[in-house]
Amino acid sequence: MSIITRSLFKSYGNLVAVNGIDLDIRGGKVFGFLGPNGAGKSTTIKLLTTLIPPTSGTIQILGLDAIKNPLDVRKRIGVVLQQPSYEPNLSVEKSLEKYGMMWDVDRKTRKDRTDELIDVFELQEIRKKKNEDLSIGQRRRVQVAREFIHDMDLLFLDEPTVGLDPGARRNLLDFLKNKARDGLTIFYTTHVLTEAEYLCDEIAVINKGKILAVDSPEHLKSTFGQEKTIKIHLLDRIEKLPNLLSSIAGCKIDFNAGTDIIIQSSKAEIILSQVLSILIENNIPIEDLSAMPTTLEEIFLKMVKEKNASNN
Amino acid sequence: MHPIIRLLNRNLTISLNPGFLVWQVIFPIVYIFVAGFAYTALISSVKFGDISLDYPAFIASGMIGFNIMNSTLVSGIIIWNDRRHGMFEQILVGPFKRSHYILSNVYTIAIVGLISATLITAIGYPLFFKSVHFNLLTIPFLVFASITGSILFGSIASIISTRLKSSEGFNVIINTVFLFFAFVSTAFYPAQGAPQPLATGFYLNPLTYLVDIIRAGIFGTFNEFVMFEMFVLVTVASILFGIAIKLLTKLNL
Ligand SMILES: Nc1ncnc2c1ncn2[C@@H]1O[C@H](COP(=O)(O)OP(=O)(O)O)[C@@H](O)[C@H]1O
Ligand SMILES: [Mg+2]
Repeated sequence: MSIITRSLFKSYGNLVAVNGIDLDIRGGKVFGFLGPNGAGKSTTIKLLTTLIPPTSGTIQILGLDAIKNPLDVRKRIGVVLQQPSYEPNLSVEKSLEKYGMMWDVDRKTRKDRTDELIDVFELQEIRKKKNEDLSIGQRRRVQVAREFIHDMDLLFLDEPTVGLDPGARRNLLDFLKNKARDGLTIFYTTHVLTEAEYLCDEIAVINKGKILAVDSPEHLKSTFGQEKTIKIHLLDRIEKLPNLLSSIAGCKIDFNAGTDIIIQSSKAEIILSQVLSILIENNIPIEDLSAMPTTLEEIFLKMVKEKNASNN
Repeated sequence: MHPIIRLLNRNLTISLNPGFLVWQVIFPIVYIFVAGFAYTALISSVKFGDISLDYPAFIASGMIGFNIMNSTLVSGIIIWNDRRHGMFEQILVGPFKRSHYILSNVYTIAIVGLISATLITAIGYPLFFKSVHFNLLTIPFLVFASITGSILFGSIASIISTRLKSSEGFNVIINTVFLFFAFVSTAFYPAQGAPQPLATGFYLNPLTYLVDIIRAGIFGTFNEFVMFEMFVLVTVASILFGIAIKLLTKLNL
């Protein structure tokens, strides 16, 4: 086991940021920590990386007691915090190299790795630029790249893709996938469901400091992500619409402002084709059609509802 | 390599930049030569203890103390910048202890203070060599002054950097504090002849003690009062250092 926690709590005054978390995370996997803003993801990462002490509970990282031996833990982990961190007046290249020096990586290795990381993270154009002159996304890329200058057994990443454009985002996720394939254990927080799905072997869903579910992405999706939402926006308000669609069973159709049809169902595609054929038959023009994937918020709502139901 | 050495290496890399050199070398040279000679017409000589110095020698020796103070400001800013740019947290989740970080900053400040003192001593030497009274105490006094002075002012800069949240605040406060230290001191003009309240103010200011000790080393004017000043400087530096360490140790994340 790479990470084991028992009854982990962290409070700030009256606010309980982490509310009794038990984790058992095996090595060689990408573990996703998925939750909305304020759920307690960053606080958990700060606890696991020994940056802050817990209010109560135990933490074992790589077989070490993280509360008794924090330095031994830190020597073996890599951490990219949510907060940006950079040396403003050093160039990208120099800051990677200096970071390697700080980790006691020998000169030759850190030079080679700097070149390699500049390549992989596509930093060639900015390698001579000072960190203070970079955009937020570029800085984030440098920050993530920098962490791979040293060896580690376990890597913590706190929302590393925030601020990255889609290309860079995908590039990073693929890079992480490769690292995981080579045996690196990764603890990855995000509030983006699709990202967790793409990258992680296992996902814990966290809300208000509590873990709601731990499961494989496939399983989570089949349990909570079945229902889809499709929205059809009509050009004009059609009075007879409710009557026309009344024959379609098993779905919910909302007539928002009279011009929107909202289909919400696990069989949304089938219902959509029925609705469309009726619209075409009656010559009703469509202005816009959009499908919305199940959002995290919906999953949380369902989970919380189910939790409450099972408690009663 | 020891973790403190690695952090020290990093601190020196980020502090010793062109801006630092302008601040530490160019500005003092200009000041020593321009002000030193411009005022010679007005101030022909300065009585200092039992001896009498020409003004350029007086200001060049005062500039050593001023430079020690300023250099610690530059390295005191490291802590402030590390907090602002997330490097403080990043270092603390790395292979370091908090005490490594604190000590590396202390060493950085002491080293930068020594470098500054050496630079200005070398540059100012042509101006005060006529009055120099080299003796056994000269070098030890200069080293003592550099280290005690840099720890004292470095602690002040560190204390300010741990107490503040907004970035404008830091620059405004640090500049005000250091400007006060610089001008209400005997670094640039003697206490004799100044109005009484100002002359009293001079002796509430650690920079005055620092430059008195430096001058005692260079011009051989060591006496009981200088010994008292050394005692005061060490005491104040120790207290401020203790406070700075305590604040840094408790600094919330
Ligand atoms: N240093 C702190 N002081 C007080 N409250 C905090 C502190 N850090 C986090 N919190 C609070 O704890 C909760 C969880 O925050 P956080 O772990 O940052 O959430 P997430 O990373 O999931 O967005 C939030 O309500 C946040 O306001
Ligand atoms: Mg967060």
